[in-house]
Amino acid sequence: MATTTTTRPARTRLARRPRRSPARLGWQLGRYAVLLAFLLVFLLPFVWIWSSALKSNAEINADPFGLPSSLRWHNVVEAWTTGRFGSYVGNSLLYCAFVVPGVTVLSCLAGYALGMLRLPGERVIFTAFLLGIMIPFQSIMIPQYYLVRDLDLLGTYWGVIVPSIALGLAFGIFVMRAFFRGLPPEIADAARIDGASEWRVFHLIMLPLARPGLTTLVVFQFMTTWNMLLIPLLYGQDENLRPISTGIMFFIGEYSVDRSLIAAGVSLSTVPIIVVYLLFQRHFVRGISAGALR
Amino acid sequence: MTRRWGRHGGIYLLGYLFLLPAAAVYLVFVLYPLARSVQLSLTDWDGARPVATFVGLANYARLLHDGLFWRALGHNFVWVGLGSAVALTLSLLLALLVWNKPQGFTVFRTVYFMPQILPAVIVGIVWSWIYHPTFGILNRGLDALGLHTWAKGWLGDPGTALYAVLAASIWATVGLAFVLFSAALQGVDTELLDAAQVDGANTWQRVRHVLVPQLANAVTLVAVLLLVHGFQAFDHVWIMTRGGPDDSTQLLATYTYQKAFMDNEVGYGSTLSLVLTAICLATAVITVRARERERA
Repeated sequence: MATTTTTRPARTRLARRPRRSPARLGWQLGRYAVLLAFLLVFLLPFVWIWSSALKSNAEINADPFGLPSSLRWHNVVEAWTTGRFGSYVGNSLLYCAFVVPGVTVLSCLAGYALGMLRLPGERVIFTAFLLGIMIPFQSIMIPQYYLVRDLDLLGTYWGVIVPSIALGLAFGIFVMRAFFRGLPPEIADAARIDGASEWRVFHLIMLPLARPGLTTLVVFQFMTTWNMLLIPLLYGQDENLRPISTGIMFFIGEYSVDRSLIAAGVSLSTVPIIVVYLLFQRHFVRGISAGALR
Repeated sequence: MTRRWGRHGGIYLLGYLFLLPAAAVYLVFVLYPLARSVQLSLTDWDGARPVATFVGLANYARLLHDGLFWRALGHNFVWVGLGSAVALTLSLLLALLVWNKPQGFTVFRTVYFMPQILPAVIVGIVWSWIYHPTFGILNRGLDALGLHTWAKGWLGDPGTALYAVLAASIWATVGLAFVLFSAALQGVDTELLDAAQVDGANTWQRVRHVLVPQLANAVTLVAVLLLVHGFQAFDHVWIMTRGGPDDSTQLLATYTYQKAFMDNEVGYGSTLSLVLTAICLATAVITVRARERERA
């Protein structure tokens, strides 16, 4: 903060200036009381479920916030095997492994073409892609379902992967085009004069410069794919194809009375992603905010 | 044109080659279905028969007299209106409280934003537990406060179900609006606020007359964002109530899904989906306008 003192006295002027310390203390206390209250609102539901995962059903019913008498790791093991969570997590990873690179590569290529090369007709093409950002999945899901069925892809991995890639393209191209547009074209021209081929200009010079945009896109697409519900619900109607989202839905239907098992399943599917989130927090916040403000 | 091609031919060829894979996938799996849903909305197809009978605008006429459609649309408006108002107020308040990045700012932001990264299914399950009639923490909390007469099956009561699901949905989205407002606040000109203070404006006056006008664009953008998401709302409702009880939580998106995939009324379902499409395109146009105003 010391660096800002030359131009601006301090960041906030909303808080009353610290004339008298009691007023300032009161403001600080009130502010932290509100912030901490909301911290609990967002955190407690998770703590509740995570702790329930290690309790017996009787304990959950008797005292929802009590600590478990003994840690029942058995619940977690059972959810992983009997509840098939191992298979659900595996499928989610598999979908991400195909959809995220698929969307990223296709979006980079198309985004570069639309952002840098000034092609005849680029306005029309870009507008067509923009349409895909504006409409929700529900606008196309009905004909798309019958298309996937007629292509004999219903109930296959490709039936989930290919429509997911198609749906990610509009936003991916939007982000990458904007990013390439923001790069100075003189860099590319200089490389061309030095005799670099167009392909080399793209993948050795311009693509590395677009890396921040690429990170945003990868994080956003990963989250979308990991969390997708309707696509696997419609196109992956086979228990071997279920990712975490639909898997856990069927799991609940099957074990609705066994609360500790459900809690164990929920924990298994939240803890890994939250750990990843905590590690790459800045990228997540940036990627998802960019995705929201498309 | 030909001279341009002659000079740039190589670049153009590469450009179209680069576009080809994305355009092909997009054309087949997005644009074609979009066009086809218009066609389907003019038929009475049930998804099974080999041929669909053309019925003209009959599905659109049916829309006008379908009480459930209007109810669902009404629920969407409650969802959008109430949901956006609460989410806007809460997120702006929280963003203002952390404006000068107090101690622990990163922790607050991390936790507030956390529901964003979770599948809607998880949010739905967690909140179904919170609302559970017997062991849910909401009813237990009311019990502990001596308000046990207020306890009820929040998701099972047609009078409360919509608001209960909406509350869960707000919980899951408010962190995003908070992050967007936090970012916008960093761009606010604090010298104007200082000047207002020197001129004797109190805290409320400074917020109302100096700060809010500077945030107008951010508020518009977040509001439109909430609007678009509100009309598309599906996941949380589907997981927690499936549109029930007694259709009290039926929204446009869930009603469309139900008609098309559970009642096998593909033609009518397509008509419903086009209503949703029209609403979303309209909100998108508003967004673009807001953007243009921001740039101006």
